[in-house]
Amino acid sequence: MSHPSPKITLPDYPAELQADPRDLPYDKAQLTRFYVAMKLARTFEEKLGALYRQGKVNGAVYLGMGQEATSVGSVSALKDGDFFTTVARNLSAFFYKGIEPRDVMARWMGKDIPPSNGRELGLFLADIKNFGIPPYHNGSMASWIPSGAGYALAFKLRKQPNVMAAFTGDGATSPGDFYEGLNFAAIHKLPLVIICEVNQFAYSTSIAKQMPVVNVADRAPAFNIYAETHFGNDLFLVIEAAQRGIEHARSGKGPALIEFKTFRQRGHGEHDDMAYVPEELRDFWAERDPIKMYREWLLKRASFTTSELESTETQVEADVESAITYAESLPMPKPESVTERLFAPSPHDPDPNQAAPYEPIDHPSIPGLTAAQDKSEGGHF
Amino acid sequence: MARMTYLQAISDALRTEMRRDPNVFLIGEDIAVFGGAFKITQGFLQEFGEDRVIDTPISESGFVGAACAAATVGFRPVVEFQFIDFISCAFDQIVNYAAKCYYRWGIQMPVVLRGPTGGGVHAGPFHSQNPEAWFAHTPGLKVVLPSTARDAKGLLTAAIRDNNPVIYLENKFLYRHYREDVPEGEHVTPIGVAALRTVGDDLSIISYGATVHHCVEAARMLEKEGASVEVLDLRSLVPLDRKAILESVRKTSRALVVHEANLTAGFGGEVAALIAQEAFEYLDAPVTRVASLDVPVPFSPPLEMAMLPSVDKIANAARSVLAY
Ligand SMILES: Cc1ncc(C[n+]2csc(CCOP(=O)(O)OP(=O)(O)O)c2C)c(N)n1
Ligand SMILES: [Mg+2]
Repeated sequence: MSHPSPKITLPDYPAELQADPRDLPYDKAQLTRFYVAMKLARTFEEKLGALYRQGKVNGAVYLGMGQEATSVGSVSALKDGDFFTTVARNLSAFFYKGIEPRDVMARWMGKDIPPSNGRELGLFLADIKNFGIPPYHNGSMASWIPSGAGYALAFKLRKQPNVMAAFTGDGATSPGDFYEGLNFAAIHKLPLVIICEVNQFAYSTSIAKQMPVVNVADRAPAFNIYAETHFGNDLFLVIEAAQRGIEHARSGKGPALIEFKTFRQRGHGEHDDMAYVPEELRDFWAERDPIKMYREWLLKRASFTTSELESTETQVEADVESAITYAESLPMPKPESVTERLFAPSPHDPDPNQAAPYEPIDHPSIPGLTAAQDKSEGGHF
Repeated sequence: MARMTYLQAISDALRTEMRRDPNVFLIGEDIAVFGGAFKITQGFLQEFGEDRVIDTPISESGFVGAACAAATVGFRPVVEFQFIDFISCAFDQIVNYAAKCYYRWGIQMPVVLRGPTGGGVHAGPFHSQNPEAWFAHTPGLKVVLPSTARDAKGLLTAAIRDNNPVIYLENKFLYRHYREDVPEGEHVTPIGVAALRTVGDDLSIISYGATVHHCVEAARMLEKEGASVEVLDLRSLVPLDRKAILESVRKTSRALVVHEANLTAGFGGEVAALIAQEAFEYLDAPVTRVASLDVPVPFSPPLEMAMLPSVDKIANAARSVLAY
């Protein structure tokens, strides 16, 4: 091939978590909660990929394996009333926030469950009331940055001490919406936190082909906003950085951009064999798998026992299996429901049986209307 | 002739034109190293090099605007949208720059904007749309939609050689489902010339894109029921082959207009209005339309199938028109 993949330089991220457990404010239950969310997502996605290959899940599936720490760590720093939006790789954030695996599985299978009743992919969810996930346009990359600014604006206008956190991929920092949304948020010092997961690729496109800077955060000075860049597979680094960004935004100082370097372990979607990803890069990140690292840490530094973790893992497997059984048992949506709920009913909706009213125009003749040419001075733009 | 899928025919047109004209270049997301999300440009980087097969960041407005500009100074860029749904991100460059450049200043802009359209693959609201009406409504843009592999090649060749912006809309369901003999080497299908896919005397079904195949299938069913049905494939919406539409309808006296895009303000309304105005006295039945229901394209298969036109829906509508 005339175009060998570019020479890669690997950063010096450690393969072990650095945090000293004595410095951390987490009890065993909380440490377990982190682990369950990450492991549940990993196990769920392994199954989802298999179901897709077996033709039991339609369309395409996109997995977030390898990015569990960025997702869980970031949403764990949110407080009651905060909002967040996800992209393709944040299933573990869903689980950490209490979204049921069985509901996610049912959505992937196109089943008739709220809120989208089969209209939207399992990947996408909006549920403000239960989970603080506002509706956003998750189709076009970066389209959620302007809407993120909008939710942040709403908090500011209502003087609510809340933040809006928007997960974003590296590729999604290229569209104009990213700049327009962030610029607006920065000018108005809105409580918007962008959690940028730099997972090395946007589909097949490498960082070098995506941006002329090394770090997304290098662009922060142009917006005059707070920014940090970190290794994203160390759960505790993520939590701390996310907390700083979130509290910065909460304190009224404007947006924060928190960038995490991580890795998309699977293809863009399960149809993609990721042949364009060099072997050494895969190996480098496999050694730094966030779940593997966290598990090691729990065992070596936080006095968890192997049997404790194994029983958690068995429970997680069982939860995923029962999610599948449950999802399979649900009905598909009724075809005739396809035209329902297109418009929300509104107070002045016309009565369909009413004839068009007779409302004559008061001034039937406008001077000059019939003249061959308008002789006015012009300049009316 | 060579047997090709619809998708291979698109690649073949691109390759042939790139070999013929050094001013043709390709630009879009994941098209070079990866060969495109659907692999249309697989191997192009190796053959043509990175100056002519350009990977872009995710910046539709950026690379469309750049390609349009390059087109005004002698290049013939072909822009790929990974999914046509994201053409909306470049809407301003297309409708306010590309469409109006020649009209305002007499400066030609030979750019092709192409990408996969259409549903039926359970890809949900953002990977299934049919946006042709947005662009057909904008004066200054040509809009073409091939339904066969031969036309996929011929129309793309014509689009690349055309001196105007051409919106070239592919159907992703047809990519690997449709295969036929396609002329090798240079092959042109003129833009603005419709084609008869079946010939008949009792009813004209007028369609374009993927639903042409549904219409032909329905025509075969109706033939067994004793009706003689003509299927006219428009191939190009702008310019529109008005003559072909009117000749067919004046012959059969009945018209059914079919497209996959949803009904309201869809291009079928334009065709129906043309027939109503220009062939009114020839008609024996109301001009009728079959199209998708007026909702976004839903993900779940039963919903999506209920929304899209089908052979049965077309055949049933045709029966009503024939029985009127
Ligand atoms: C405007 C727009 N163009 C193209 C696409 C198709 N697309 C979907 S995901 C994707 C790559 C996104 O990369 P990144 O932002 O890095 O997120 P990742 O998939 O790596 O998590 C592309 C090009 C899209 N969704 N939106
Ligand atoms: Mg990425």
